[in-house]
Amino acid sequence: MKVNGLRGKSNLNEEWNHHFVLGYTDEETVMLDFDSTSFKTVRYWASRAMKWFKLEGFIILRSSLNNYHVIFNRKVSWKENMHIVAWVGLLCNNPMLEKWFLMQCIKEGSTLRVSPKREKPSPRIVFRHGKEEDQVKNFLKYRELTKNIIRKLKAD
Amino acid sequence: MYIINFAETVLNTNAKEGKTPMVKQIAIYGTYEAKVPVFQRYWKRRIDGVKQRYWKKTTRMKKVVESGRYEFHGKGKDLYKAIIKALQIMPKGFVDVSAIKFLKKPEKYGYEGEWVEREVKS
Repeated sequence: MKVNGLRGKSNLNEEWNHHFVLGYTDEETVMLDFDSTSFKTVRYWASRAMKWFKLEGFIILRSSLNNYHVIFNRKVSWKENMHIVAWVGLLCNNPMLEKWFLMQCIKEGSTLRVSPKREKPSPRIVFRHGKEEDQVKNFLKYRELTKNIIRKLKAD
Repeated sequence: MYIINFAETVLNTNAKEGKTPMVKQIAIYGTYEAKVPVFQRYWKRRIDGVKQRYWKKTTRMKKVVESGRYEFHGKGKDLYKAIIKALQIMPKGFVDVSAIKFLKKPEKYGYEGEWVEREVKS
């Protein structure tokens, strides 16, 4: 399946010469990081998790080729958050997701990248489904804030 | 009056349950090169006869390449200022701090250095 979303209109991805990464961390938002997975598989697992755990809605962001991030709408506790991520990680049999899950457990907060990283551009929204007024809205607000900071960093 | 009482009740409930009000943060992470002080070990015999090992900070500095992470929370302007400051001050491991506190005393949370390009996981 061909997915658009990395051909941006803004020049945000150009000239990123900083060696650090900016991300968004939250305990109450269910986030998934699918590496080396096709868009079709990501959409299937996001949809299945949403239905099973009644997560109201989700958005999918493409971070690079065959790498996707998923953010769900319903606010959950940290315990439930890790329950959901572990469920998806175990069922979809993705070792990268399992590794990411372990890292989030150590940090006690889920983090997803917002800024560009080396040759990879900022993650772009490629799919939206269901409600967006709760955690997805919060994520987009913080993402915008981070992007404004990135723009200012470039201007300085 | 009612509103103030209600707000206090909510805050007290959160404090009792051990909840932290701020859970959304901006993370800045990567690999850095910084000059850190060299620690020297020494032993001292305690009153009970056991030799206890201690560490003291020397004036010598060494260059290290490590990975670290800041987790900033706060308002937009403070976050921006904190990130600008974080370009020069490298984190001492995992630092979870409010942007205002970090801006007041950045040297408490890290060493001077610069971010370098290395493979980093989220």
